[in-house]
Amino acid sequence: MLDLAAVDSALALLTSSGTAWLFVIPGLLIGLFFGAMPGISITMAMAIFLPMTLYMDFLPAIIFLTSIYTGAGFGGSVPAVLMNIPGTSSAVATTFDGYPMARQGKHNEALGLALAASVIGCLASYVLLLFLIVPVSSVVLKMGPLEMSAVAIWGMLLLGSLSGNSLPRGLLAGVLGLLLGTIGMNTAGYVRGTMGVPWLLDGIPTIPAMMGLLAASQLISLVNAKYLIDDEASRKISFRRIFSGFRMTLQYPTIILRGTFIGVIIGSIPGVGSSISNLLSYSETKRNAPDGASFGTGNPKGVIAAESANSSSEGGAMATMLALGIPGGGATAILLAAFAMHNIVGGPSFIANSKDVVYAIIFSNFAQALLLLVVGLGFVYLAGYIVRVPMRFLIPSVLVVAVFGSYAIDGTASGPITLVVFSILGWAMVRYGYPVAATVVGLLLGSLVEGNLLRTWQISGGDPAYALERPGALLILALMAFSIGMTAWSARRRRRAERLADVES
Amino acid sequence: MNRSDRIVVNWGHIALLAVIGSTIAAYLFDARATSLKVNNLLFVQPAAIAGLLLVLLVLPQCFRRVSADEPAPEAEPLSHLAKVAGLMAALVALALSMERVGFDVATFGFLVVALRLCGERNWIVNLGFSAAFTALLIYGYGAIIPFPFPLTIL
Repeated sequence: MLDLAAVDSALALLTSSGTAWLFVIPGLLIGLFFGAMPGISITMAMAIFLPMTLYMDFLPAIIFLTSIYTGAGFGGSVPAVLMNIPGTSSAVATTFDGYPMARQGKHNEALGLALAASVIGCLASYVLLLFLIVPVSSVVLKMGPLEMSAVAIWGMLLLGSLSGNSLPRGLLAGVLGLLLGTIGMNTAGYVRGTMGVPWLLDGIPTIPAMMGLLAASQLISLVNAKYLIDDEASRKISFRRIFSGFRMTLQYPTIILRGTFIGVIIGSIPGVGSSISNLLSYSETKRNAPDGASFGTGNPKGVIAAESANSSSEGGAMATMLALGIPGGGATAILLAAFAMHNIVGGPSFIANSKDVVYAIIFSNFAQALLLLVVGLGFVYLAGYIVRVPMRFLIPSVLVVAVFGSYAIDGTASGPITLVVFSILGWAMVRYGYPVAATVVGLLLGSLVEGNLLRTWQISGGDPAYALERPGALLILALMAFSIGMTAWSARRRRRAERLADVES
Repeated sequence: MNRSDRIVVNWGHIALLAVIGSTIAAYLFDARATSLKVNNLLFVQPAAIAGLLLVLLVLPQCFRRVSADEPAPEAEPLSHLAKVAGLMAALVALALSMERVGFDVATFGFLVVALRLCGERNWIVNLGFSAAFTALLIYGYGAIIPFPFPLTIL
């Protein structure tokens, strides 16, 4: 599984050249800064700095770009916790409990939790990658549309668990999101729901819609608040409390492991990646937690689950890119472009011929994750000061940053218009007790579910027996059924224990 | 049921349900008008029907029975709702005008109005902050993103 000669050679490569390491901290800082800016995606951050790597050697270039990738992966979580703005779609589930924690004055702990879970998740995913890069890549090659549909349907189960106080309202919010997610041209070429607007052909722009539903709607409803945190004493920024968040993360190794495993597997599936893995990990953790009912109101386990999964997706995406030469998303496509700029082609032949370079990239990612701990700590400390800004300055500033961020996605007014429409919809939904998070999840999953169901339908010709030919999909569906069964069983046990406790008292 | 009970109607919630229901229905009709083939309706039609059924399921929640002796819930001050409406209107104006009047002018205008709505009474602070933040955004985002912002003054 592990080629020791190649490991030795990789360590020699990394230790013989000091220049490779010079780019790690700048890369992490660039990633953190860009990741925390709404509308600036990881891909955009990496694309901006891609031309610079033309003048570097291959290994320093890749280390620089992967440092940006690692930094931006966590950077998106900072506005998710502090302002309910998921900087990237992979930080959506972080907002569910991170933002309520911040509003309760636990922003230090929430940021500490997010940072620690990200670092541990990232480290663990690269350990897994080191040993599993070959088997994972062979699994990825076997994933067809039915398997992808099964994964997406598993993600949809989260809609039920996000329903809040009223299940029908939660489901309606989710179904509305799913339908809005299918607007535009589907994979069979049919155009629906665009109302003649050309930019809707590609579907509703997801990032501005998410920013509108989650952040702008909340900010508008806070127009009469003085500060993000009412209690003045709770607004302090404290290293001690950030560290207590760190320590708290270590108390939940199972959640981190589950998140890492989900992150690596889902992250390695091209086109799915971290935007689904964080939701799936959150949903599974909520289902298995004895205090599942408190998820969404500031439960630290929710932050750990989301962050460990989205950071470990990076390892999974790298596995697919290195082993198969397939970019799972925009960021790995940029990395492949950097490979090409240095006349190197990723894929099976690259792994076979340059195992030492692959191991060197993996080892440098260990170092990046550890350095993220230090650099990220300073970053979250400074970012935490946002809770001390009066709302009369914060609301207009964040709204206008969100508008600029939504414009930055494709340089047209489509982003700002989407943001405004979804801000108003989100405000109304929050006002009448609808969980906007379910709409966001639906929006992310809508086209994925429809596209894969459609491909499955086309391949199978509508014959349900096709599923029997796909053991992978059956396994995923069985795991899903097992997970639901276990949840029902543990919920029944919990209710019985509560009844017994009531009788005894 | 007591004869003196009364029904309280949540008109805002009904309006939201009407918007959601009509959006789903319009989307379903549009999809069916495009094509009745399975490749088009495989997911959209069942999801839309489920959505419409859920609207009907939620609708009774807009009507709440309260007993006559129960005190009426405290109404939200109109000034709060006016502020929310004002902020939304300013945001709509920003999104629609930024390409026409320039990002600098539209952003500055939005910040002045929004700061005032959010409670900043000092005009010097308001105008100074709005000008400084507009410049920071224009030059900051301008340096990062690959698209040019249409500008009028800066």
